[in-house]
Amino acid sequence: MIQLPDALAISLVVGASCAFILGELALADAEDLRAIYWLAVGTACVRAAVHMGRPGAKT
Amino acid sequence: MKESLSSSSSEADPAPPAGVARRLHERVSAMGSVAQASVPGAYAWAATVAPVAWSRGGGALAKVAALVALVALAAGWIGEPRWGSRARVASLWGFVMASAVTWSVAPAALAPLHIDAPHGLAGTLGWALFALALAAPSLEGNREPARVVDAEPLAARRRLARGDAPYLVGAAVIAAVMQLVGWRVAGVERALLVRFVALAAGLATIDAAASVAVARHARRGQVSMRARLRRSMAVLVLLGILLLGGLLFALRG
Repeated sequence: MIQLPDALAISLVVGASCAFILGELALADAEDLRAIYWLAVGTACVRAAVHMGRPGAKT
Repeated sequence: MKESLSSSSSEADPAPPAGVARRLHERVSAMGSVAQASVPGAYAWAATVAPVAWSRGGGALAKVAALVALVALAAGWIGEPRWGSRARVASLWGFVMASAVTWSVAPAALAPLHIDAPHGLAGTLGWALFALALAAPSLEGNREPARVVDAEPLAARRRLARGDAPYLVGAAVIAAVMQLVGWRVAGVERALLVRFVALAAGLATIDAAASVAVARHARRGQVSMRARLRRSMAVLVLLGILLLGGLLFALRG
């Protein structure tokens, strides 16, 4: 059974993948600002997914 | 003690194939890693080096370097049984450096407009298989397993936990899809940048999916959903700002 944080982490990884692909497409079309934006969104999604899924001490 | 260890390790090993298959297995295993890697190496050479050397802009130096690369690969095959790892290293560097010389003296043939997507993917696959076969040959013969600790048998690695495979397969598929983007870019520098970004993005996706999959098996303790949200709050706020900014920018444009 998938827990809610795991589902959220998976969604963030999928979102990161979509953002990375959009960034690549923008980069290929020489739209650098849009590429940087989508790559930044993808990186933030990946970081959030790892933070969300990571177990650890109570903060 | 050692006898019991050796008997237990031999019991754990899979039974060798019998008859003709066994002889073939031993013969191929005795060839060494360069011989096994030479098949994907020759494929990578045929897909990425030879077309450059014998393209319209490829000069004599490119052709000579391409032939040197092929000779280095064959020399590694012949020399490995006699000189071992020294022949393997010399063959690897000779093959890679001669291929690099071919590409550097005929850079125009590497322009993305001259390489279609299936051709590029085949070359990438060939070089990846060459590196994999050289670093970890699939057949290593019936030799004694090298022990790091003599005192006790080492515990086997854990099998892939149930439910992890979909995470890793899904991430690998997404990473492969990322490699399909940007094969028709005109400029060399931008094409290389797109490939580099696609590779980095694919690795980041696989790493994140593996982290999420592994984290499911760790003891969560008493960490609540709220605590985990609070822990990732900074990144989530940054993500929210980025998405909101992008939305406003799109509405304005």
